Amino acid sequence: MIKIESLSKLFNEKKVVENLTLEVKRKEVMSLLGPNGSGKTTLLNMIAGLLHPDSGNIYINNTMVYGTNGTKKVNLKPSERKIGYVFQTISLFPHMKIQDNIAYGLKSLHISQSEIKKRTNTLLDFVDLTEYALLYPNQLSGGQQQRAALARSLATEPQVILLDEPVSAVDPQLRETFRLDLKKYLQKLETTTLYVTHNLNEAFMMADKIAVMGNRHIEQVGDRTEIFDKTQSTFVAKFLGLNIFKGKAIKEQNGHLLIDINNNISVLSTSNPELIGKNVTITIKPEDITFSKTQTTNQNATNNILGVITEMVQTRSTTQVTIDLGFPVKTRTTSTEIKNLGVTVGDKIYVTFNFSEVNVFSEKEST
Amino acid sequence: MTPPPTNVKQEDIKTKKPKQKTSKISQILDKTTTAFLMVIVVTYISFLTLPIIAVFLKLDIAQISTQLQNQGIIQAIELSLYTALIATLCSIILAVPTGYFLATRKFYGKTVIDTLMDLPLVLPPAVAGIALLYTFAPGGLLGPIFNRFGMIIPGYMGAVIIAQIFVASPFLIKSVKIGFENQDQAVYNSARILTGSRITVFFTISFPLAIRAIISGTLITWARSMGEFGATLMFAGNLPGITQTMPLAIYNMLYSDPIAGVMLSIVLISISFVVIVIVKLLEQKRYGDRK
Repeated sequence: MIKIESLSKLFNEKKVVENLTLEVKRKEVMSLLGPNGSGKTTLLNMIAGLLHPDSGNIYINNTMVYGTNGTKKVNLKPSERKIGYVFQTISLFPHMKIQDNIAYGLKSLHISQSEIKKRTNTLLDFVDLTEYALLYPNQLSGGQQQRAALARSLATEPQVILLDEPVSAVDPQLRETFRLDLKKYLQKLETTTLYVTHNLNEAFMMADKIAVMGNRHIEQVGDRTEIFDKTQSTFVAKFLGLNIFKGKAIKEQNGHLLIDINNNISVLSTSNPELIGKNVTITIKPEDITFSKTQTTNQNATNNILGVITEMVQTRSTTQVTIDLGFPVKTRTTSTEIKNLGVTVGDKIYVTFNFSEVNVFSEKEST
Repeated sequence: MTPPPTNVKQEDIKTKKPKQKTSKISQILDKTTTAFLMVIVVTYISFLTLPIIAVFLKLDIAQISTQLQNQGIIQAIELSLYTALIATLCSIILAVPTGYFLATRKFYGKTVIDTLMDLPLVLPPAVAGIALLYTFAPGGLLGPIFNRFGMIIPGYMGAVIIAQIFVASPFLIKSVKIGFENQDQAVYNSARILTGSRITVFFTISFPLAIRAIISGTLITWARSMGEFGATLMFAGNLPGITQTMPLAIYNMLYSDPIAGVMLSIVLISISFVVIVIVKLLEQKRYGDRK
């Protein structure tokens, strides 16, 4: 378990982490997702004790490793925090064979030579590197080196594993395989894990729980659906590439919430009386928006708005279509569907999305 | 008024010809540039190597065995080996911790210290000699302190060693600094997480990773000590058996005993060559390579 309470850190009088609170439950694998420079590594280094926070408390498995307990200041050494850390760069000891790298942490545990040997072999086997035991790090591929680094970090039986963009040290064409290997190992370990990445797909692939970091604190924590469908901040919505609109919740209408966007378009969302009268932010996933040449009249709760196609960008299998409704709306569909519809830039088209796909929240006051 | 096809063809040829010309010109230009560069490179390399060859050409192989019994030569070699060894050992004691400190600590005025440490590297040896005199001579800055203990520095073997340390040890500081600075912080942090003792981390990680740079720096410092001339001449003097190291002996023998001078020169050239080869090999070696 990792628990962080109102953690703050300044670098050269610039706030890097501010009043950050986060909890990773026991045996939970959590991805810490955020753009480069959002303070993810700083946070990880503070948990590891490589960097000292200015204020706040950090607990690992209910033990305070940094903070103020009454009048007592606590700041445990990195080696006392029972953590394993896999770094962004290859951090293996270049002058030691793989087996000696892995055994490094064991040597300070005061256990017998035969026990060290036994545990080293178990770890080598765990990361499938037994046949590489006698090689030096530079004789291994990036992925193998990172697997060795994982094994080395596990030697001291950490209660928490921290991984900082471990994939970035691996050749691009081998990254997918490496991610799958890593996920397999992390699942087998059943240890509290915090996995730092700036890559959206990777974050969702490695963990079931995601914490999105930005603006010096954690913006939102949740599983895949909560993050995508119940986005709680503009920052997260922008990072996920969602449609973001500013509007005002007007009233309840037939059990739905009526929202006015830009004073000219009304959309329906799931009922939420608390928001009535408030300025709200609306997010819709691009893939939840469909479009057709004719107006659909099947349901009154389905939003159906006429717009003009302003841009079409084709990627490998999908096409991103931007439609102007008085404000731009991003949609994503298969290239085949675009072909079947036979539409192009400048065409008028009806945009359709269900009320349940309209996520509404009122932005928290942020400083 | 459409032009006949022949015209078009002519135009084609017209446009093609100048193109070929320019490519020919650029080819010629390319070749001239290469030739020009070659001339400079060959001239320069000859300029650097011919003097060395000239020394070897002066060597009379039949004389080697008799020269090896030349007291002047043996004395100079012994003195040089002895003083350079002590100077190098002192340099290790002083420069390795200093280099480590400069590489791993941040403090106010560090750039100034760094610059001061580099100064002896570019300082003319004659100036170094004068500077040492004004510091250690009986009338110098620290002279009174030595006088009190009845010690006189210039003119004794100690002065040779001091001159060598002053001129050569900054090479070691530089090497040591680079050796510790070039280490990945993540490597160091990994070790800190795995073991509680900073001393263990130093002796198992930081120091082994810097050892090649330290050895290279030590060899260069030693070679530089062996070759020290100007500062030694000015500060320690040129007394056979006491302060006359190999370079000073060569200077003396130039007219009196040129064959001995050549012998000593060849010894110094060989030392320089071996040191450079070892340093190169150390730089290239990767962990896990077969020896």
